[in-house]
Amino acid sequence: MTDSIPDTTLLCVRDLAVEFQVGREAPHVAVRGISFAVPAERTVALVGESGSGKSVSAMAILRLLPDNARITGSIRFAGQELTALPDAQLRALRGSAMSMVFQEPMSSLNPVFTVGDQIAEVVRVHERIGRRAARARTLELLEEVGLPDPQLRIRSYPHELSGGQQQRVMIAMAVACKPKLLIADEPTTALDVTIQKQVLELLARLRKSHRMSVLFISHDLGVVGEIADEVVVMQAGEIREQGLVEQIFTAPTHPYTRALLACRPDLERHPRRLPVVADFMGGQDPQVRDEPRVPRPDRDVVLEVSGLTKNFRLRDGLFHWREVPAVEGVSFKLRRGQTLGVAGESGSGKTTMGLTLMRLHQATAGRIIMHGSSGSANLVDLSEAAMMPYRQRMQIVFQNPYASLNPRFTIAHILTEPLVLHSIGIDARARLGLAGDLLQRVGLPRDALNRYPHEFSGGQRQRIAIARCLTLRPEVLICDESVSALDVSVQAQVLNLLLDLQDQFGMAYIFISHDLAVVRYMSDEVMVMNQGRAVEMADGESIYRDPQNPYTRKLLDSIPRGVAGRLLV
Amino acid sequence: MWWQATQRLRQDRIGMGALAVVGAFVVMIVLVSLHLLASDWAQERGVHYANPTFLGPGPDELAMIEPPPGQMLDLTAVDPLAPHYADIERRTRALATTLKPRIQTLPFGGDRYGRDVLKKAIKGAQVSIVVGLAAALVATFIGSLLGAFAGFFGGLIGDSLEWLYNVFTSVPYILLIFAFAAVSGRGIASVIVILGLTGWTGVYRLIRAEYLKHSTREYVRAAQAIGAPPLTRMFVHILPNVSHVILVQLSLNVVSFIKAEVILSFLGLGVSVDSVSWGTMLNEAQSELILGKWWQLAAATLFMAVFVTAFSQFTDSLRDALDPKLR
Amino acid sequence: MTSYLIRRIWQMIPTLVGVILLVFVLFHLFGGDPAEIIAGQNASAQQVEVIREQLGLNHPWWIQLWIFFKEVVTFNWGSSWATHESVSHIFLTRLPATLTIMIPLFLVTLVLSVPIALGVAYVRGSLTDRLIMMATTVALSVSFLVYIIVGQWLFGFELAWFPIQGWAPSLWTNLALYVPLPVLLAVLVSLAPQVRLYRSFFLDEIGQDYVRTARAKGLAERQVVFKHVLRNALIPILTDISLQLPGLFVGSFLIEVFFSIPGLGREVLLAVNRSDYPVIQATTIYLAVFTMVINLLTDVLYKLVDPRVVLK
Repeated sequence: MTDSIPDTTLLCVRDLAVEFQVGREAPHVAVRGISFAVPAERTVALVGESGSGKSVSAMAILRLLPDNARITGSIRFAGQELTALPDAQLRALRGSAMSMVFQEPMSSLNPVFTVGDQIAEVVRVHERIGRRAARARTLELLEEVGLPDPQLRIRSYPHELSGGQQQRVMIAMAVACKPKLLIADEPTTALDVTIQKQVLELLARLRKSHRMSVLFISHDLGVVGEIADEVVVMQAGEIREQGLVEQIFTAPTHPYTRALLACRPDLERHPRRLPVVADFMGGQDPQVRDEPRVPRPDRDVVLEVSGLTKNFRLRDGLFHWREVPAVEGVSFKLRRGQTLGVAGESGSGKTTMGLTLMRLHQATAGRIIMHGSSGSANLVDLSEAAMMPYRQRMQIVFQNPYASLNPRFTIAHILTEPLVLHSIGIDARARLGLAGDLLQRVGLPRDALNRYPHEFSGGQRQRIAIARCLTLRPEVLICDESVSALDVSVQAQVLNLLLDLQDQFGMAYIFISHDLAVVRYMSDEVMVMNQGRAVEMADGESIYRDPQNPYTRKLLDSIPRGVAGRLLV
Repeated sequence: MWWQATQRLRQDRIGMGALAVVGAFVVMIVLVSLHLLASDWAQERGVHYANPTFLGPGPDELAMIEPPPGQMLDLTAVDPLAPHYADIERRTRALATTLKPRIQTLPFGGDRYGRDVLKKAIKGAQVSIVVGLAAALVATFIGSLLGAFAGFFGGLIGDSLEWLYNVFTSVPYILLIFAFAAVSGRGIASVIVILGLTGWTGVYRLIRAEYLKHSTREYVRAAQAIGAPPLTRMFVHILPNVSHVILVQLSLNVVSFIKAEVILSFLGLGVSVDSVSWGTMLNEAQSELILGKWWQLAAATLFMAVFVTAFSQFTDSLRDALDPKLR
Repeated sequence: MTSYLIRRIWQMIPTLVGVILLVFVLFHLFGGDPAEIIAGQNASAQQVEVIREQLGLNHPWWIQLWIFFKEVVTFNWGSSWATHESVSHIFLTRLPATLTIMIPLFLVTLVLSVPIALGVAYVRGSLTDRLIMMATTVALSVSFLVYIIVGQWLFGFELAWFPIQGWAPSLWTNLALYVPLPVLLAVLVSLAPQVRLYRSFFLDEIGQDYVRTARAKGLAERQVVFKHVLRNALIPILTDISLQLPGLFVGSFLIEVFFSIPGLGREVLLAVNRSDYPVIQATTIYLAVFTMVINLLTDVLYKLVDPRVVLK
């Protein structure tokens, strides 16, 4: 529950609109007149998917947008009208009364200056203190943000710190001059889920101790529920709903908000298919029933992996090479028509394992045995030529929809190329017909064949990538973080599509993701990986109800649970 | 993507202007190559150092020589040829003469031998530009091919090509050109070979970096996953994504090779003695300037400056059109 | 660090061997017959044969390569075919003249181009920026030759501010009298491309995320550009400088030719015209070694400039 503190408004945004002038075309409108307020000593969250205008709104407050941006409306901060302030006066407020933390800490820090110098800089810009005093202040700040070994770290360069540590440094810079308002633009999106929890706790603690307000921007409703007092929901540059956090989460009024809340895979429920935004826009909310997955251990094993190991060679010293293990001794059995979920954080080796299974990396040791009607073969030792028939049987959908389709190919070329390579289809017309059929199967119109990838959205491109895999009718499909780069609403659509296809074609999936809720929703069995090793493997339900391994437990603890898991600080 | 680039280019007025100028030069070159224009550049039509037409004829130097003072002596008595003069005169008149009188002024002036400077500049444009273009094609082709292999395969192939690159770049560029020039003859083909074989290193570096970047991109991994062989991945998948870089490099190379050819020809290491290029014109202009004859220098400089500026500006506009993120 | 240096020096050997091979292939396979060149145009076939025997040209090519290799390693270059001056002597006497021109030229260009480029980057997008860019494009389209020809004529002949040509044995006379005009002209020419290049470095850095952070901290634009951006742009600038340094030694041969300065560049040009192979070969190989050493020094220097660099 929120504390009862007198409600004084710190930041008042009224009818804010932002448009960008690009060349001679009509200006692109990013924000269409929004109004919200940030009270003193409260956390307000701006929530929305990509293109909602949340980041643009935040940057408009500090006037950090590029030169071709036009801002209209009113932004009042502590009684002052910010839009009317001359640059010099606004600069005096930046970093001192209002400050900002960005999403990518590695690139947001200057690589050639030490961490200590960069923190001291913001202090010395706004306060007249000498170098000694600034250094002392820096040490205090580093301790306050929980950075271990401040005496040592003050002389470190950004690249010597981990992502979480870098973000702590950014936060230290932001609170150095005791701001009244801290704007955090997706500060934890680029961090692992265990680190995310620590950083969120830090922010909550600092907000209380510094008695400041936080404007928190995020796309993740789970995180927002844990940290925010008030929530503003944005879509396409407009506000759909705003209010206190409990009200938004337990009794949302706008259909978009309801859709956003419902279409996330949840650790508690298991609907047969995820509801999507379109379901909610009709007026009546869809009925969603739980339908837990039925385990079927009697199916044949299609892929048997034992002791899979992949090491990378790095140069070390004069003439030696160091072997860096990325995947160590991973074993599992994949049954027909079933899904093995692989969960882990960055550096766990899950992606490397996926690539090694596809023979895109050469395995250092172990066996990958594919069983079939014509016998079994160990894929590790096969030559490229011998691999060709197996390439038909196992395919992969990659993470980045913007990089997995060749920007210079038409969709027709992308879809017919695998057919040509494997001599499927009698002639070009037959192949085009097949491609068109598959496009329709994944929910895209036939005329998309003549278009180029850049004409499609992220979710649509991912569907095309899936269609490309389907051209070969694989028995095994590896989904390597295939929905991680998509907005929550789009993610639901693609997950539903994958489930439909699995029912229709009987494919086995290896579903790799760092998002535990999604992994649970999609999988029959789950394998948790940490630093290259498989630390736990169990069926979908037991691993979440009763995790055995301490790492698994830590992982499950870190998942943001929305309002139910509010950070009590 | 090419269509979008063309649209952006059309909107860039400066770029289109530059393209028009380059186009005009190209038309001119084609005409010269077909011998329709300036094929008679070597004809010595004018008087020595003829003035440009807009300056008017220069002072008749012969007329400026004052006749010597004193009386003219009559040498008929001792002159052995005296009885034959009438006969010689008669026979001379019977012969037809093909020697045309030298013109006093030429459109852009004449050089030391009375050759038309304007025609030389036009012919020189053809030589310099064709050499620059051909050399750029050779160098860009070699650099792109080697860069593609080095970036895509890495390993032993990449290391060997890196070794070759290091060997060629250890020697300062000018010195390398001199070394090649020392062992080859003169002439247009020679210059093209010299510049082409020494100038591939810049393109190599760039294309290798591009291929390194693209080889790990997911669309290439996807191509590998469906079973596309390596050469297909290199030239069917990656090449179209890199072609705009190659195009810009080609244009930059054209400019720098034209300038290199001019310098080589100036030093006598370039085209052969009986051809003309902007470089040979500048060589001649060096000594003419002191005499006050500035038009050959002006013509060569003007033609070269106009073409290179237009071409450079066009390259900039092309680059902006292909990748609008660059300023 | 020591192991890194050893490894790099070890790696230089194949490259050096490659350069020696390249020079050998160029001159022994494609070049004219050295015996004929040395003997001159009026020699008899017998004289040519004698010289050929002396030079060892009748041996199979791999023995010739071995002899060549030994010569390189023992610094035994023999003498110039034209002047019979020992090649090492040529080097030692011509180098100072080249450096007297090139070092001031290099320093003046550097000192001028960085601030100008920084200033242009600071006012990016404005009219000043576009005018300067246009001016540099036009300046670049005029050949270096024209600058020298017109410059010599204007400053040396018409205005008589400087002597047209000349060289003195004393360093200070040179610096005061004979160096200013060539350096002035060369700086004018090299400023345009350098300013454009450095401007693009600065603009690349201005587009980075850390610049946005610096602004968010409340720094003035001046501080952002002159402190944060400049410091990061030094990395590619350092690379560019290291690429230019080996060229200093060949010098601007054009300047040396026009101004009759007895430097190494002019010497090489004369050698090319006379087919004087020993001089060209020696210069090529020495400079290759020098370039490799400079590359190594630059890589080590990177560690000072870019803390992300790890020398392994």
